[in-house]
Amino acid sequence: MKARDNPFAVERVQAIRYRPLKTTFDEILARLHELNYRAAITGPEGSGKTTLLEDLGRAFRTKGIKPNLVFVNDTSRFDSPTCRRLLASLSRDQIALLDGADLIRRSDWSLLKRHTITHAYGLIITSHKRGLLPTLIECSTSPALLKNIVAALQPQSSLLTPEFLDSLYKRHQGNLRACLRELYDLYAQSDPL
Amino acid sequence: MDKLNIALNEDKTAFAPRETIHGTVQWNLTTNPRHLELSLFWYTAGKGTRDVGIVQTLRFDEPGAYGSKDFSFTLPDSPYSFSGKLISLIWALELTNSPGSETIRREITLSPTGQEIVLGTHP
Repeated sequence: MKARDNPFAVERVQAIRYRPLKTTFDEILARLHELNYRAAITGPEGSGKTTLLEDLGRAFRTKGIKPNLVFVNDTSRFDSPTCRRLLASLSRDQIALLDGADLIRRSDWSLLKRHTITHAYGLIITSHKRGLLPTLIECSTSPALLKNIVAALQPQSSLLTPEFLDSLYKRHQGNLRACLRELYDLYAQSDPL
Repeated sequence: MDKLNIALNEDKTAFAPRETIHGTVQWNLTTNPRHLELSLFWYTAGKGTRDVGIVQTLRFDEPGAYGSKDFSFTLPDSPYSFSGKLISLIWALELTNSPGSETIRREITLSPTGQEIVLGTHP
């Protein structure tokens, strides 16, 4: 199958936004307000933390608060110069959104945490571990969520039975990103170009 | 008619490198936009992060709520439209209004053969 036709292509997957389990987006926003806009989205890999962070960024933008979104990962490091640049760019009408806070150095984290109290509207982070900031939500997944997302992507195949998706979910230990990547590969290989 | 439309002359959608695209944009909106923008660009789709290259943009200021305008773009030498299992490169024209959220996209093919290059079909 051509990449452009693959139902699990990145842009199609990214069009699926965060789907809260056992809560609503409005409740998440209300809790964030209670936490004075300083909070952490926690959870394991592939549980929707980054997606939720991006969705919160959009929600803030519609309220006139500018999101300053920074991604930290293996290819996009957050070193001290990057930290200083971020701090210098922040203002009270901006909210800092930091994806991957547990990957930054402790000294940079301390600086960022302190600086944003007075120089930003708020600070929301994602982290695999708890404790960096009060927890806004602990993201989790379920086999049903995987099935819902797969159904929304509308793949034309009888291959994706509930049993297959249950086993995929289990094999990737609930990491939906990994599940969807495997489905991409499956579709890429399944048909001739 | 849709609120925004991109019509290509003779309905031609496949072009050779350096060929010129001729067409007409049409709009019929409920409010007066400040401007309309027509962009010629390519983007990638597939397993990896999306890449985008904007080649040229035409801006129509104070176009009124409805009307039409002819346009032309000369395509560059490359990149060609192609598809493999991991990545596709897709050329498109996109018309947007501002303020507003209407968008219309028309895919085209840039290739010396007139067809999308399909990777992995030849040994």
